[in-house]
Amino acid sequence: MADFFLHAFALVSSPSVLLLILIGVLFGIIGGSVPGFTVTMAILVVFPFTFAMDPVSGVSLMVSVFVGGYSGGIVSGVMLGIPGTPSSITTVYDGYPMALRGEPGRALGIGVAASFIGTVISVAVLVFFGPLLASFSMNFRPWEISALIIFALTLVAGLSNGALLKGMLAAALGLLITTVGYDRNSNLRFDFDLPVMSSGFEILPVMIGIFAFSQLMDNIEKLREEKTARQEVIPDISIPYGRIIRDIASQKVNTVRSSLIGSLIGALPGTGGTVANFISYDQAKKFSRHPERFGTGIPGGIIASEASNSAVAGGAFVPTLALGIPGDLPMAIMMGVLILHGITPGPLMFEQNPVLVGAIYASLLVGAVVMVLCQLLLVRWFARIALIPQQILVPAVLMLCAIGAYALNNNLFDIWVLFGFGIVGYLLWKAEVPLTPLILGVVLGNNLEQQLFRALDLDDSWLTFLTRPLSATFLVLAVISVIVSLYQNRRIQQKMAINQ
Amino acid sequence: MPTITKDRALALAMLIMVAILYVESGNIRPPTSWQTYGSAMFPQILLGVIAILSVLILLRSLFNSKSSQAHERRTAMQWLKKNGVVLTLFALFGLYALVLPVLGYLVSTMAFMVASLALLLGVDTRRKWIINLGVSVTLASLIYVTFHFGLNIWLP
Repeated sequence: MADFFLHAFALVSSPSVLLLILIGVLFGIIGGSVPGFTVTMAILVVFPFTFAMDPVSGVSLMVSVFVGGYSGGIVSGVMLGIPGTPSSITTVYDGYPMALRGEPGRALGIGVAASFIGTVISVAVLVFFGPLLASFSMNFRPWEISALIIFALTLVAGLSNGALLKGMLAAALGLLITTVGYDRNSNLRFDFDLPVMSSGFEILPVMIGIFAFSQLMDNIEKLREEKTARQEVIPDISIPYGRIIRDIASQKVNTVRSSLIGSLIGALPGTGGTVANFISYDQAKKFSRHPERFGTGIPGGIIASEASNSAVAGGAFVPTLALGIPGDLPMAIMMGVLILHGITPGPLMFEQNPVLVGAIYASLLVGAVVMVLCQLLLVRWFARIALIPQQILVPAVLMLCAIGAYALNNNLFDIWVLFGFGIVGYLLWKAEVPLTPLILGVVLGNNLEQQLFRALDLDDSWLTFLTRPLSATFLVLAVISVIVSLYQNRRIQQKMAINQ
Repeated sequence: MPTITKDRALALAMLIMVAILYVESGNIRPPTSWQTYGSAMFPQILLGVIAILSVLILLRSLFNSKSSQAHERRTAMQWLKKNGVVLTLFALFGLYALVLPVLGYLVSTMAFMVASLALLLGVDTRRKWIINLGVSVTLASLIYVTFHFGLNIWLP
């Protein structure tokens, strides 16, 4: 393990990869700091640039966007009082009041330091649990893998804003999209006699179309509604290093607890940074001797928020790398990028591509260091960039999406796929259908079908899925996740009825 | 008479799609003698699941008036006015995809950027035009140079 990690570290430390990590971190911070842009969008915009790169360079660039993106939300959260990403909502609660009090440098410094510690702890979790989970899942056979994918999809569908039926519909639609074109038996499906349809849809244009269009059009629609009356805080910022070290030292337990919460939640399918952010903030408040001070601009609130959302980065890689099952949207796109580079995430990746796994660990660590340096040196510029209007961002991102889709195979049909799924994604989003299960279905569809029918080829009885203990456990968990979300939906509806 | 809500429209659209794809799945080659299950089975299972879920969404929206969204009645003109910018942006993107192979990357991208920035930013001041043209030309050229010379990826 040490050997491949050192080899990977040497590769990541080469000047060209370091430059890419710097660019990735910078772009990630900018992406995270511009309200409405999100980490996922930053990853989508950067991915076409990885096409011509070797896997280590491409993955390092993407991972560093991820690291920068999760820390970028703090900039607009503290300076503008607007969370740059949904995963930094609670940063605003204490970061913005502290900045208004005349201490923006302290608020930013605490947030950046907490982000760094969160990322490092999450890498430790990944390094420890990733191989363990991978070696455990080496025993998985097609029955277990199929059941696990079904469990992951139901879990994500169930957690989709209380819309279980629509979440499951979205997951099934995502799986259906992958059935277009030639299948495992070289038979054509749903090609409608169009030659361009015979090879099916590329994953990335589909994902970008579904996600980017709905998100960008949402931003456009909100432009009219949102006129922020908040006071923007962009004075000269000086970072009080000594004070920040004392602040962090006085919140050691909170920092570690929040980082572990972020890592753990990052590893669970369907949760992600936003959930980690709220749970960690809530826990910090519950454990605090002065819970009433939360929300008034205290270091503990910023630490809880930023340590947890940054720790999601490492945690989210655990199921993606070890099981080949991404837990959330940015990871689904990251997995698409790995597949594009000819790497199939899953238990075998640790055996077949140890250097690449090591490169991911190393990129996360190096990215965290670069993130701290960039944030502390350039924070004033990031705060200004966060003010770029959506009117300029939206056309630019749409254009980059089109070029990214085209550059994938130098194929104009992929732009039409992007456009078509853009319309589908927008309409589904308008109908309040959650898009994360849809994208997860697109990413996992081919694998599910292959494993399902490999299992049935080995033993044509469907009952085998229930007689194998692990596969039965996953299916029971899938049923339980559906029942729990039905129960939660019911409770939400009852509460709404009482409130009305 | 039941009105069209988001849920009902979604369920009906899904059911129509399921019907079309189910008919189309009849064209998929049947299993050979050595195959237990054919290529049509997986998509047909999914179509069945989508149909069941769509029916459930439809029934819920019909029988549970609380869950069906309250609807403000709008005329076609009001709807167009509210969604005009988004629809125009979609149309511009479609046009961009259409002219990209004809006009080439640089011309079509600059045209798309100028048109969509004009739509979103407005064209009422000289400053907006300068921002529009500056962003469009710089970004389109920068991407071209990066892809063509930096990444060796050919753009149309």
